[in-house]
Amino acid sequence: MQNRDQPEAEVTLAPRSDPSHEYEAALIGRIRSGESELFYQLIRPYERRVFVIAFTILRNEADAEDAAQDAFLKAFKYLAQFRSESRFSTWLIQVAINEARLRLRKSHLEIMRPIVDQENEDGTYTPRDFTDWREIPSEALERKEIRERLVEALGSLAQKYREVFVLRDVERVSIEDTALALGISTGAVKTRLLRARLMLRDLLSPGLEGIWTGHSQIPKGTKPWS
Amino acid sequence: MDGSFPDSKGDKTMVVKCEDVWREISNYFEGDLDPALKLAMENHFAQCTSCQSVRDGMRNVIELYGEKAMFTLPAGFHPRLRGRLSDQVEGRKISRRAWLVSVGVSGALAASAICAAALDRFGPRPLSEMSQPARRLPERLVAIVDGGKTFHVPGCPFMHGKYHMVTPEEAVREGYTPCTRCMRDALRSAGNVMPDFEGEECASSATLEE
Repeated sequence: MQNRDQPEAEVTLAPRSDPSHEYEAALIGRIRSGESELFYQLIRPYERRVFVIAFTILRNEADAEDAAQDAFLKAFKYLAQFRSESRFSTWLIQVAINEARLRLRKSHLEIMRPIVDQENEDGTYTPRDFTDWREIPSEALERKEIRERLVEALGSLAQKYREVFVLRDVERVSIEDTALALGISTGAVKTRLLRARLMLRDLLSPGLEGIWTGHSQIPKGTKPWS
Repeated sequence: MDGSFPDSKGDKTMVVKCEDVWREISNYFEGDLDPALKLAMENHFAQCTSCQSVRDGMRNVIELYGEKAMFTLPAGFHPRLRGRLSDQVEGRKISRRAWLVSVGVSGALAASAICAAALDRFGPRPLSEMSQPARRLPERLVAIVDGGKTFHVPGCPFMHGKYHMVTPEEAVREGYTPCTRCMRDALRSAGNVMPDFEGEECASSATLEE
């Protein structure tokens, strides 16, 4: 097991550099006044975010792209309904989540239960104890198969955990805005986030009957990044 | 690792168990911990390899999934999105122009209707629905009969009963309309010749003076 001997828990959880609220409010005002082409400028910083949240829910790239594009179209159509009290990005995420969930219901994909969904949210999750845990270096993400395994691990979580994890840890949306976007309390966000992080930590650790051992090209008990 | 909670009132040193660490480990990374609890967790990590593993594994998860390389947009996503949006955006611009034009036209039509309604409302209502209003008024007094519907030149054979003289404006205001026999000129507009009662051309104004 790697022992970093680091007392600090420093990881980069700072929010992405989104455009300022004032800048977006001015853009939205101009769009509403008829400068419709500025809508491209407004949504450009959020294209990836909307796609990722749609992908998290639908777990299919083509469906996620369709859902994301429909979300942008709806955002344009209903921009007049946007109230400036909240951030535009939060509202846009809500539109994207609704669109993806709607597609999910229509496609009946929700009957495919995720692998890791046995835990009660209110119960205590006990992380697995490993003696040979090793860090997965960020450089490993250059390999497509590693990224796919990580995506697969994320996809094995229940949807409610995926949504929270992706907003907070992938897109670095604040706890408060994540709660707003999902329509849940900040307490629920924290609980789900803890669970998602622990489950992913367990899934990505070696020696488990997890995602790594389910593929023939990866010898059982070994790590594909080593 | 087993842990215990000694009475912290004396030395103010908090001791946490593994279960406490697992419950708070996410908040630890969020920086959302009471300083005393954070210190207690760090003391715990120094002694507990299992919780070190949990801490380091979670840090690794957060770092990996937070990398921008982790998720990328599909190739061609942006142009496809722009293509779909352009229909809407350009459509709205066109429809906005059309909307402005339609609002202008509607406004003009509405104004005309209001004016027409106002004229109709404030103008005199003819006593006879079949008659035509006066296009120009005679310069002399005209004769009306109580209960009648037209005004005449005194002596007109179409006038019956006792009459009295009023100004043409008063007669019009009361709803009287010109007699088609003796008040042809009042019914005639410039350049427009009206047929007389018998269908003959009659443009003489002398009748009024008789």
